[in-house]
Amino acid sequence: MILADFGTSYCKFLDLSSPGKGPVLTPTKDIPRDLRVDLATGHNGKRFSEHYVNELTALARGGEELIDEDEYVLLDCGSRDIKFVAYRNGELADMGWNVECGASMGFTIELLERYYNLDYDQLPVPDRTFSVTCGVLGMSHIFDAVSSGISEAESVARFVKGIALNAFRFAGLPDTLYLSGGLCDNKLFTQSFPCRLVPLGRFVLLKGLEKIAEERF
Amino acid sequence: MAHTPLNKNSRVGIVGIPPLDIIRHLNAVGAAIFDLDEPIVKVDIETAAPHLPRVYCAILRTAVINALHLDLDAIYIDVGPGKCDCALHVSTIFKDIVSIPVYPCRNTDTSAYGYPLSRTRMSLMEKFQKITRGVQSAKPYDLQKNAPCKPVAGFWGVPPRDFSLFELFPDRTHVYGWTRCMENKTPADTALESYFNPEVPTVFFSQSFCAKTALAKFLAAKHPKGLYLDIDVGCSSSAKAKIQAFLELSGVPYDLG
Repeated sequence: MILADFGTSYCKFLDLSSPGKGPVLTPTKDIPRDLRVDLATGHNGKRFSEHYVNELTALARGGEELIDEDEYVLLDCGSRDIKFVAYRNGELADMGWNVECGASMGFTIELLERYYNLDYDQLPVPDRTFSVTCGVLGMSHIFDAVSSGISEAESVARFVKGIALNAFRFAGLPDTLYLSGGLCDNKLFTQSFPCRLVPLGRFVLLKGLEKIAEERF
Repeated sequence: MAHTPLNKNSRVGIVGIPPLDIIRHLNAVGAAIFDLDEPIVKVDIETAAPHLPRVYCAILRTAVINALHLDLDAIYIDVGPGKCDCALHVSTIFKDIVSIPVYPCRNTDTSAYGYPLSRTRMSLMEKFQKITRGVQSAKPYDLQKNAPCKPVAGFWGVPPRDFSLFELFPDRTHVYGWTRCMENKTPADTALESYFNPEVPTVFFSQSFCAKTALAKFLAAKHPKGLYLDIDVGCSSSAKAKIQAFLELSGVPYDLG
């Protein structure tokens, strides 16, 4: 049985019939159009599978598997959107999914790294930040800062920190935040959060699918 | 009560819920009533842009489009506490863009008709269609007809511009907020509007850019299992996915209907 999280920029696959073999990561642009999997989630998931699981549901189920606590906040920062689930007493207490105003944050971060030829692992967390509510609108802050003499690296770092702070506020300002998604590997982003951060990696939704597959099939 | 002679051939637009005296009069003369808050005329909502900012309540943008395209004889628009300040300003714009009488009114009716539809077992889509249609009549309800059911979910708020989001809710969804006030014929009853049932997972909905977003967000935070949701013109796939996940993760039993 093949599970897949079809994200905007990357797709993640897990073959349950090959135990021990870990998840596989593939850029979304390389996915064949006629690909079919058994169970899918993600922005593009409905196109590639008969059985589709809502992304927030997959995130929540993944969190239940990976987080051994009754109270926690789990935030997923994707290319296109940000979403979170908050649990209290082992039950869902709050949730949010920001597509419109949280749009393209992850996508923009990756785009900027390539465009300005930066390495986020080498950039220090800046003292200052931009007020960023969306990747597209945030870009203008970068251009303004660069034109005022601030270095490209510093400007982009402020942008990345602004995105982290926006995501933190969106998740309800928790003391501890569990983070899901590809941005877990971005040191500048993860260090920009003003709280204890626990990165869970980019396969949390796949973990949720695995749990759902065990229950349903 | 009426300011202009109306008869059974008259076509009258309403925005919000005009006072019962006005509805009674329109019913008595047999005038056809058009609820301008609903998308009646099928044209692009952007055609309202010359008259209203694009970042504005989609219900009132819809009302402007209807007023421009329907061949009406008069418009009654509630500009009191039962509607909103935006409607007050839209009434000013109406007077400028249509050549028929526009009558601002303030609905402060307190005679409670009851809200059987809000609490009965019925598809949420049908429930809202009946409640919104009920605005056009002053007849009392047959309270024996729609028995209350035990709710498994709640929907708080105004009737959205796009009813398609109702497909996601089970039949035993109770209706709260302004829509309940609407059915009760007391649109300015803020106490009834603020009521919710903490026992059932509830979506607190508001149209984007509506003043009621503040109340919806506030009450959702108070509710033990509340989801705040605002939608502009149409219900996007992400908004639907959010509702679906909320109901599913809150343990709402779809199969019970």
